[in-house]
Amino acid sequence: MKLKYRIVPQGAADGIVPLNWVFIEKKDIEAAGLTHLEACFAVGKDLGDDCAAIDIMDMEDAVTVTSDGIVAPGAVIGVASVDHGLINPSYGYLNISPLPYSDKMIEEEPHMRLWLTEPYKGKTLHRGPSKEDRGNRGANNENMTMSGRIANNNCGSEVMNMVEMTEILAPYFGMYQIMNDGEVIIGVAGPEVSVGIGMVVSERHGRIFGGVNLGSYKAGMTAHNSGEFAKTVKSDYPAICAPKPVLAEYTLRALDIDLVPGKDIGCSPAVLALAKAYGKPIALDNIAPRAWVELESVGITREKLEAPAEILSRDEIIAKADEIIPGMPGAKTYKASDICEIRYAEV
Amino acid sequence: MKLMHTRLPDFYSKAEAAAKKRNPETEFSISGLENVKTAKLASLRVGRVEDEIMDITEDEDVKKVEIVLTPDNPETLYTVVIKGIQEDGTCKKVILENMMLSAPTVETHLFGVKEIIDRRSNMKK
Repeated sequence: MKLKYRIVPQGAADGIVPLNWVFIEKKDIEAAGLTHLEACFAVGKDLGDDCAAIDIMDMEDAVTVTSDGIVAPGAVIGVASVDHGLINPSYGYLNISPLPYSDKMIEEEPHMRLWLTEPYKGKTLHRGPSKEDRGNRGANNENMTMSGRIANNNCGSEVMNMVEMTEILAPYFGMYQIMNDGEVIIGVAGPEVSVGIGMVVSERHGRIFGGVNLGSYKAGMTAHNSGEFAKTVKSDYPAICAPKPVLAEYTLRALDIDLVPGKDIGCSPAVLALAKAYGKPIALDNIAPRAWVELESVGITREKLEAPAEILSRDEIIAKADEIIPGMPGAKTYKASDICEIRYAEV
Repeated sequence: MKLMHTRLPDFYSKAEAAAKKRNPETEFSISGLENVKTAKLASLRVGRVEDEIMDITEDEDVKKVEIVLTPDNPETLYTVVIKGIQEDGTCKKVILENMMLSAPTVETHLFGVKEIIDRRSNMKK
């Protein structure tokens, strides 16, 4: 029996990728008759003395939520770090359990209304770990796994080698493209992405924030809260992202059901740019002063957002997404198959 | 309480003495607490470590004992003390901030080791 897995190996994308990043699909784990943890050990054994971050993906029956608060198809349902075949017993593996639907969730987390629409309706929601998933982790522990040299943070979107002190990001739609053999753009995250990933929404058991209680950072706020320094926090790290038309397509779905940036969904540069082009309202008065400082540091001002502009159709926005959505200047487009290998581990 | 916790310098000397007890030629090193200048360590644990050092030196192939202290939780939480110092050297104001630090885990010391004897107690429950 063999276990199929995908790996974006160290050195991929013209040497930009600094460490091995493995994706294992839930259906392939089930086909091999393994538990998710056993699958991670199998991959670790297959990698020998090498190390990797591992994301376990459900691309068929699940949905997740991006840091912008956009419900997305597929989900990371478990994460791990492996080094020399070893997985730290306390911190090396993190399951991400499904979150049950409740009316209270929709009331408290308005961005989740998108979950109730097609094609997401009825799919299982995986976002962040439950209290039980986190096990013995303390309040200081992020949603991170650590084994040996490798850390895998924010439920599988930010991976590091703690010895070489390298790092790479993959916002969720980048992973989605890898799993679906689409195209990705890879380059330096830059100031707009750095600012944008701090513009999160408030959730219980979110990918990054929120546990039993709702996270402290509501839509319109900045989790970075670091003024003009926010644009530098990830500015020199590489990122694997979806092409901008893909990001536009999924973000427009939230705008189509009248979720409002800065109130219901995050106010990242990408979301604000799309809402402006689409002629959708933005909760400008709800964007916190500290968030404005960060947005203004990358050239996004209230004045520009309030200025009259041509309203584009959905198709026009997707066609012009590269012009509309700021960030990732100079990123190069790759086919997923050019950066990602399919391998099989003995089980 | 003096008997309950061991002074940091005493821990270092006790550990070295244990390493050299069977054979004074046994080499010894200890690392991991370089940034901690003064501390008290649980005496019960100090005694266990001394006993375990003796166990390691029972193996005639062991010529050196290396002790490494590494945080059990590799994601440690620090307080950052940002001090504003005046010309006369006194501190006028301080801003305190949190800082999470993620460091390589204990596995980095285990690569390729055939025999791992884990005597840690479960202190997390």
